Amino acid sequence: MSKMFGKISEAQIGAALAISYLLFNLVFWAYPFLWLIILSISDWRFFDTPSFSGLTNFFVVLEDPEFWNSVWNVVRFLGYYLPIVLTCSLAFAFGLKHLGRGKAFVALCFLLAHISSGVAYSLVFTKIFSSTGPLNSFLFDWFGFKIPWLSSPSLAMLSISLVVTWKFVGYYGLILYSGLLAIPREIYDAAKLDNTPPLTRLFKVTLPMINAQLIMVLVFAIILAFSIFTEPYMMTGGGPLESTNMPMLVIYETAFMRLQPNRAALMSIIIAVASYLVIKLIRKFLERDVALT
Amino acid sequence: MKNIRNIILFVVVGNFLFLNGCSDPNTTAEKPAGDKEIRLWVAPNETQEAFWKIAVERWNDSGKGTRVYVTTIPATGSSEHAILTALVAGNAPDISTNIFSGFAAQLANLGQLEELSAMDGYQELIVARHMGNIMQDWDQGGKTYVLPIYSNPTMVWWRGDILRRLGIEDIPQTFDDVYRLSERYAASDNKFGMQVIAGKGWADRWFDFISFYYATADGAPYIKDGKAVYNNSAGRSVLTFLETMFKNGWTSTDFDSEEPLVTGAVAGAVRGPWDIAYFKQMYPDTLKEIIIGPMISEKLPADKTFTFADSKGLVLFKNSKVKEEAFAFITWVLSNDELSLLWLEKTGLPPARGDLTENKIFKTFYQANPLAEKYAAYVDVAVPPAFIESTIDAQKAMGVEMIEPVQFGTKDRETALADAIRRTNKLLRLQR
Repeated sequence: MSKMFGKISEAQIGAALAISYLLFNLVFWAYPFLWLIILSISDWRFFDTPSFSGLTNFFVVLEDPEFWNSVWNVVRFLGYYLPIVLTCSLAFAFGLKHLGRGKAFVALCFLLAHISSGVAYSLVFTKIFSSTGPLNSFLFDWFGFKIPWLSSPSLAMLSISLVVTWKFVGYYGLILYSGLLAIPREIYDAAKLDNTPPLTRLFKVTLPMINAQLIMVLVFAIILAFSIFTEPYMMTGGGPLESTNMPMLVIYETAFMRLQPNRAALMSIIIAVASYLVIKLIRKFLERDVALT
Repeated sequence: MKNIRNIILFVVVGNFLFLNGCSDPNTTAEKPAGDKEIRLWVAPNETQEAFWKIAVERWNDSGKGTRVYVTTIPATGSSEHAILTALVAGNAPDISTNIFSGFAAQLANLGQLEELSAMDGYQELIVARHMGNIMQDWDQGGKTYVLPIYSNPTMVWWRGDILRRLGIEDIPQTFDDVYRLSERYAASDNKFGMQVIAGKGWADRWFDFISFYYATADGAPYIKDGKAVYNNSAGRSVLTFLETMFKNGWTSTDFDSEEPLVTGAVAGAVRGPWDIAYFKQMYPDTLKEIIIGPMISEKLPADKTFTFADSKGLVLFKNSKVKEEAFAFITWVLSNDELSLLWLEKTGLPPARGDLTENKIFKTFYQANPLAEKYAAYVDVAVPPAFIESTIDAQKAMGVEMIEPVQFGTKDRETALADAIRRTNKLLRLQR
């Protein structure tokens, strides 16, 4: 092997590896994206030849209340999900940092949720949250009331956010944990010498020092909000009253059930651009350079 | 330079091999051998697959026509998805089963289906299978593109032991009967009278609103001549029934946790014939207590109560190069009484034919399976869903604009009904 590569320079090996990456992206990213653009300005229903339709699809999508409601649902989802998942992930990261033994075991336990099948745990949570499920039976038996976790238009999105938080808290928590480990101990020692209260230390030292990790988690969460499919599809079917109907559900149904791939293509471009812009804004306003020099 | 060329060659070949490795290894190996062969896709369902394998084996052994090659519809998100992908990729079979009316309407409008009613021997097949009445509901603009294989009437299952405990001797058949039962049963701790909403998905409307509507409207369509027409007295009655059940707490928004008939959370629920086999395997003790009644409606009908037919059929694709041979096979399978009996024995689903209770060949089966016989008696008054392309949107509109707002009390009945009709008509107009 070494003889074979003996005459090849590092630059050539690098180029070869880069070609693999470029080819992969050409096939699996650039080609589909180009096809999406073509479809979004075409009239095509799978079997005929695409014909140029100008802005027709744009106007149809613009007037589609279901699609724009699903975009609004992304905002609602983020409104519930971000505070819950950030608080829980931070709590997990702090807990892990202060844990003496069994860190790997605890981290593994939380990560198990992350690698679980979306369909399987969605079914489990559907049963748990059901109005006749164990959670509501317990509440009814002990306190005499039930909570319509998945059947109330105002609570269903919160319930989905809780399930997604359960899935991602270990993963996000580990990212934040790595940030906590990277904070030099001397900074905390200096803060203690200045008699800085714990809350001030949290907001003036810890959180700014893990800004990079927080931004990373935020970006992941935003991407997730725009692309979530399995949980709402399995648990609520987008209801009740379309309160959990997310863009991916609308795009899937438009393409494969209504057989309107051109409109679905345009919707997916809009979602891609919207998620990119939100991430850019988040980074512009919240990202800080906290490198210690 | 030579090295760079080698590297590029290595990478290209490597990528090619990688991509090739992603392809389905069976696609080429499974291609039928020989000059002419009919490719048949069947539902990915153990019992249906067992039936078709036997039927195809008998056909191939008989030497009556071109050999048939049977496989299940490839595993993807849904049968529709798999068939669509195959059609676009040019790998579609000649015949496919497991086609519901809405998908058939879409494929027919896109010019992908062969008109079966124009094939030689079609009329003879309809007569031989006693499908004359059934086929009236499968008409699409005067043409037939799909032949129903089975027709599952929706019926109401009642827990006989609960009815007896409540002192109810007759099976509830009207909305008023259900109110009376619910009043008594829901007074017990955390119980409900009847499950009236089947679920959250668009397809669940078949098993609640549409079933109740057909029963109350004597099988009249809910969409006619490209317009939603359920803003009539039948539609209003059904909506009033649903509202009454929710307002009084006689039903729940969902029963996702456990089978409510088993736990006794409800005394009755809409169920299909497929549930007989399921209960036999999972809840045999509950099944012993089950009494099957007709679909509930506003008033007692003069004759049998109409109901919804959960029905799927087979289609012949336009691109098939063996259309006549394929239709000969279809005719042979569907007009063969013994194969209808085999279908019934293997799947427990009533074959879509109008002579199930009269034909002697089914007698022994139904004597041994009295619950299945109840379903067989309603096949001729079971109406399939509207033959429209926008099945999903039309049924979503029923849920989002009408049933859910009435359920949550956010709209009054008339507004909800008017909104659902308006939204459905708008999308029907757009897709025309």
